[in-house]
Amino acid sequence: MNSFHLKIVSPDGMFFDGEVMRVSLRTIVGDIAILAGHIPYVTAIGTGECRVFVDNTENSRRAACIGGFINVTKDLVLIAATTFEWAEEIDFDRANNAKTRAESEIASGSTDGHSLELAKIKLARANVRLKVIENNKQ
Amino acid sequence: MAESSMKDISSRIKSIKSTKQITKAMELVATSKLSKAKERIAKSRYFHSAVYAALTDIAKRNMDTDSVYALKREIKKSCFVIIGGDRGLAGGYNSNVFRYAKEQIGDKTVSILPIGKRTTEYCRRMGYEIVSDEFSNVEEQNVGSCHEMANLLTDCYLKREFDELYVVYTEFISVLNQRPEIMKLLPLDKNMKEDHITENKGLILFEPGMESVFNAIVPSYVAGMLWGAVCESTTSEFGARRTAMESATKNAEEMIDNLSLKYNRARQGSITQEITEIVAGSGL
Repeated sequence: MNSFHLKIVSPDGMFFDGEVMRVSLRTIVGDIAILAGHIPYVTAIGTGECRVFVDNTENSRRAACIGGFINVTKDLVLIAATTFEWAEEIDFDRANNAKTRAESEIASGSTDGHSLELAKIKLARANVRLKVIENNKQ
Repeated sequence: MAESSMKDISSRIKSIKSTKQITKAMELVATSKLSKAKERIAKSRYFHSAVYAALTDIAKRNMDTDSVYALKREIKKSCFVIIGGDRGLAGGYNSNVFRYAKEQIGDKTVSILPIGKRTTEYCRRMGYEIVSDEFSNVEEQNVGSCHEMANLLTDCYLKREFDELYVVYTEFISVLNQRPEIMKLLPLDKNMKEDHITENKGLILFEPGMESVFNAIVPSYVAGMLWGAVCESTTSEFGARRTAMESATKNAEEMIDNLSLKYNRARQGSITQEITEIVAGSGL
């Protein structure tokens, strides 16, 4: 398989800049994987896990990747995420706390439309972070 | 007479010394904040430039799009995000950015989103319409609040409350050099500042569709640009303050030196006079 140039940026800095074999992530329409030679492509990133395959094995680096967009051009794949955190950098306790907080907020039923929406988004974010940590252990 | 002028001088020296202490302290604070802000700016610049390049490229290749963010409208009202400081004592930092903003606004009908307490005060004084003063405190802004700002602004844009969006900020070139800049955020068009495009062939596949992709990515693009501008501006502010305080400290030192010289002269003068008087008295 051929490699291609991948760049991952977020407002917190540059997370990756180099040649990779494959990258997979969750967009607003579902999971996708990009290989070398992909046609020019733009889509928005959803809330999910991003995997970067640097070599031809199934070994990958995992990260939580939320929001922003991916732009595939002829010579560069750019992931411009709102939030990007490598699995080893995710704060487990913080994510866990966020999860419990969001869950209790939703369960309390006292929240109205907009804040319920926010709580659900927070829960989804926390779940992704926890899942990425979990997957990374295996 | 000498006595009283000596007293005057020594009290002036005292007061200048305490001023110097303050300016020195402010210089140190600004220096430490500056180094942190510089780290932040280095990080945000990656995102800033990558996203700007990507969006410009997308917009240029797909100018036939009917996305509301790319369509040119008749300009009835413009929105300016002006980023200034929370505090003064930063040399010409605030006044430079305000003057520049005023030039850019010209005779357009505008609404302003001020960032920075000084900016809010300035906009009130000038009688500009203010979109929101929620983001008045520039030092408290973070990535999250830039997203809120971006959502607010894109919402207003969709509701046609204004027809174009600019951000006025101060670009950090070096500690000694900062330059006010303007950047057009919306609508996305061909006349964007830099020419990043490398090739101009082939269409881009948008999934699920151009419209929904644009709707999803434009707010995060605006947020990224705003965050970049906030980082540039705060770093510039600390840089300007450091320079201003450094020169204030230096001036204070100079004044103290001059006054000490005067004080010593007065002291010498009074001693000489006393001696002359005593000598004159004993000679009788």
